[in-house]
Amino acid sequence: MEKAKIRVLIAKPGLDGHDRGAKVIARALRDSGMEVIYTGLRQSPEDIVEAAIQEDVHFIGLSILSGAHSHIFPKVIELLKENNAEDIKIIAGGIIPDQEIPKWKKIGIDAIFGPGTSTIDIIEYINRSVK
Amino acid sequence: MKPKELIGKLKQGDVRAVARLLTLIENEDKSVEPILKNIWPLTGKSYIIGITGPPGAGKSTIVDLLAKTAIKNNLKIGILAVDPTSPFSGGAVLGDRLRMNNAQKSGIFIRSVASRGHLGGLAATTRFMINGLEMLGNDLTLVETVGAGQGDVEIVKVADTTIVVEVPGLGDEVQAQKAGILEIGDLLVVNKGDRPGSDRLANELKMMLGLGEHKEWMPPIITTTATKELGIEELWDEINNHKKHLENKEIDETRLGKIKYDLENQLSQHLFTRKMIQIGENEIENMAKKIFNRDIDPFTAIEEIIKQ
Repeated sequence: MEKAKIRVLIAKPGLDGHDRGAKVIARALRDSGMEVIYTGLRQSPEDIVEAAIQEDVHFIGLSILSGAHSHIFPKVIELLKENNAEDIKIIAGGIIPDQEIPKWKKIGIDAIFGPGTSTIDIIEYINRSVK
Repeated sequence: MKPKELIGKLKQGDVRAVARLLTLIENEDKSVEPILKNIWPLTGKSYIIGITGPPGAGKSTIVDLLAKTAIKNNLKIGILAVDPTSPFSGGAVLGDRLRMNNAQKSGIFIRSVASRGHLGGLAATTRFMINGLEMLGNDLTLVETVGAGQGDVEIVKVADTTIVVEVPGLGDEVQAQKAGILEIGDLLVVNKGDRPGSDRLANELKMMLGLGEHKEWMPPIITTTATKELGIEELWDEINNHKKHLENKEIDETRLGKIKYDLENQLSQHLFTRKMIQIGENEIENMAKKIFNRDIDPFTAIEEIIKQ
């Protein structure tokens, strides 16, 4: 019997404590049948990448509202490379300025979902990418 | 990763390979059987500690502190933490890592496992996932069950030492008399020891044990306050006492019993699948209709199916 599930790590790096968005996403992904590993607040890029590898996830979802993404995005991408884990894709949400999005996509963020995105769009995106 | 390459990396204790193997095991992937066959002689070398108890009792926090203590004692650890799968969507939010900061910061391998519809407190594949994890060369494997109800006692078939975590405020002393989860603890922990009622709960548990038969190993009752890291050293000592007790007496015997239990389960699953393939879904449906119409009784139906 085929029992494979899509696994997603939801992490909240940086110092801001606003994790409602991350929790909403975690819940929505759960309700669509995915397994969501929720790691909580104030995770370092090292913690996140290590957890993603141990948990063998398809996606890392980063929620950042503080502006720390400029530091965290490149670091997470670099650590995945160092660990030969580039097959793990990164999606991000929170407050990421629109004009920066092409730049982040270019260096390896798979997709960015800003405020107002429907959870259905995120679920569909993940389902499409894993297939 | 191809199976051959994966096996090679597993034998080097490669973390990514172990993570991938665990995924294949929990997906019940077809490719996993030959891999497990190959690595089987290398597994079974860790001491397995199971932690169970009701939701919110503090299991994850206690696991984290045990991991911290184990590191201090120069032991290598792996952690499996099981959380429930939603019966409606098939999805799960796995949040045990959240409480395992010490373990996480020390680079311990933690794997969050969804129960995927299996009852009893574990996932159907937990036994083999422990074996997979052992490819990292760990001395200890900590297995945390889902927040368990009274009947979730499967952990005892997996762990060498089973710890049952209870908390004050969940019921009166009759609860302690009931069969089930309290019976399986090699160690009983009263967590949230700073809460009112914890002394009373510890006393009730002691009374319950006193009323039962006197066994060679009488489960000690340890009061902890995990959030303040109190009582953990004592718990650690008692784990070691239990381990010594098993080593003196019966560790091989107990493990043998558990393997026999697994073997019987797998055999019945295997025979069931084979029989189902042989007779087909339709035959089952026909029989069900006959039973429903009272043309046949269920006992004769089974006899006939087995004869086919």
